[in-house]
Amino acid sequence: MTRLPEDIESRLAAVAPAGVRFEKTTDGHGTTVAWLELADKDDLFPVGELLKEIGARLSMTTASAPPAPEEEEEEETEAAEGEEAAETPEKAPKLSFGGTALDGTALELAYHFDVGGDTLTVKAHVVQGGEIDSLTPLFRTADWGEREMMELYSLTVRHHPDPRRLFIDQGIDPAVFERLIPFSTLVNSASTKGLWEKVLNKKGGA
Amino acid sequence: MSSSHETVATPETFTIPVGPLHVALEEPMYFKIDVSGETVNAVDINAGHVHRGIEYLTTKRTIFQNVILTERICSLCSNSHPESFAMAAETIAGLEVPERALYLRVIAGEVKRLASNLFNVAILAHLVGYETLFMHVMEVREIAQDIKESVFGNRMDLGAMCIGGVRYDVDDEIATLLTRELDRIEPEVDRIIDTYRTNGSILGRTRGVGVLKREDALACGVVGPVARASGIDYDVRMVAPYAAYDRLPMTVHTLVDGDVWSRAMIRLAEAKTAIELIRACLRDLPGGPTHLDDRPDIPRGEAIAKVEAPRGELVYYLKTNDNPEPERVKWRVPTFMNWDALKYMLTGAKIADIAIIVNSIDPCVSCTER
Repeated sequence: MTRLPEDIESRLAAVAPAGVRFEKTTDGHGTTVAWLELADKDDLFPVGELLKEIGARLSMTTASAPPAPEEEEEEETEAAEGEEAAETPEKAPKLSFGGTALDGTALELAYHFDVGGDTLTVKAHVVQGGEIDSLTPLFRTADWGEREMMELYSLTVRHHPDPRRLFIDQGIDPAVFERLIPFSTLVNSASTKGLWEKVLNKKGGA
Repeated sequence: MSSSHETVATPETFTIPVGPLHVALEEPMYFKIDVSGETVNAVDINAGHVHRGIEYLTTKRTIFQNVILTERICSLCSNSHPESFAMAAETIAGLEVPERALYLRVIAGEVKRLASNLFNVAILAHLVGYETLFMHVMEVREIAQDIKESVFGNRMDLGAMCIGGVRYDVDDEIATLLTRELDRIEPEVDRIIDTYRTNGSILGRTRGVGVLKREDALACGVVGPVARASGIDYDVRMVAPYAAYDRLPMTVHTLVDGDVWSRAMIRLAEAKTAIELIRACLRDLPGGPTHLDDRPDIPRGEAIAKVEAPRGELVYYLKTNDNPEPERVKWRVPTFMNWDALKYMLTGAKIADIAIIVNSIDPCVSCTER
């Protein structure tokens, strides 16, 4: 089974003209774990094509909304190391490698590929409500993962062949990971105080 | 069953619901199956009946509490979840797990594999209608359940893993018990393998049924016994060794036919290999501590970890920041892609074989939907 090729970094850089940040570590057993960050999310598809060509398997997709750097934390650093903290510009949101503002709503999409036991994670940043190309035309395994991303966050996956909900019912508002949902709402007041209130309201109304 | 009534002249197609309850196991999954007569044309899968939002919950608990939570994602591969999660945390913190713990992790994992695989082939016998064999295999599996209860104190959730090692130890008494029980279960597994290889009822319902061709298996990205029964030589224990697998007599079993029978035979062969691996661990078990002394500090970082659960490759992604709770935990269970392969396996199959084919991916719904 083919592993991650030695020249993978240059080959990836060649298909992602906007720029990439690449790093890798290899453990004592010779298993490599590599990370690739794309400057431009639209380079995802050509990168996917290259990985398909070298026999990679898309094994998982992760979407997350990294929290904005906390202010309290900066104060702590300031107190501890005043000089270093003074150098960092104040209030400007931290940017991702590709220049997406990490304001707590931007999405980090990670595509974890397996190449014969080695893992390559390709990351792209998308603003909230943004769009990304579907990898499903290249990898069947992207199908469910992308559908799950779309129901958890406000994200459009372009050219997905079957963009239906995966696990979460149509009746539930989209982007569930971007909202706080009270437990009683989640379980449709099937337990807790909400159920009792529902019963009382019904009784009063009848 | 359809007969050749001449009144039914036009071949019509129907959509029939299968599930969500009791397709093969007591876990809900809903299949919309398009049939012509007795033959399946197409399958649509409707998931989400047991979606519990555990992925969200992991970000509300500390990294150490998540070792407990992840064990409760699934019962049959309960041990693989905290193992993989702990490995990701150990990678971030750069922790060196004690040698003895690496062997103890293999013992816990292989005991689970033994019980899990026997459970699946037992259900196959039940679906074939061979109840005597079903009860016999379940009785043999009970030996593995007894091992779990005696060694770990639990029949399903072992509670064996922690970040930096394991939470149990094997002393002389436990080692003697394990050896004695393995001596009991091994000849039984051999006899079960013989039965599944030769019995007419089993062969008649499983050979050539639910075939997944190698190229389709690759396209679907299937893993575990489903992949290995279709000729894909991929086992995390071999290609990306973890715990003590690189020092143990590991055998990867593959078959080429990709049918229900091949998948059952792979699971049985792996049950047998599990016994050999546990024996090798008991023989080579090094001394020393079973876990790191202090509760380790997990700094900011991210890591990927994968293990070979009974159903195949289980992947964990862990991202931490300066909080005690992880920023994101994501995992992908082996069954997640194996559902997709059912579309290939079921197309052209008979309605009567649907349950047998669904069971042959050893589906785990609570794992898939989290």
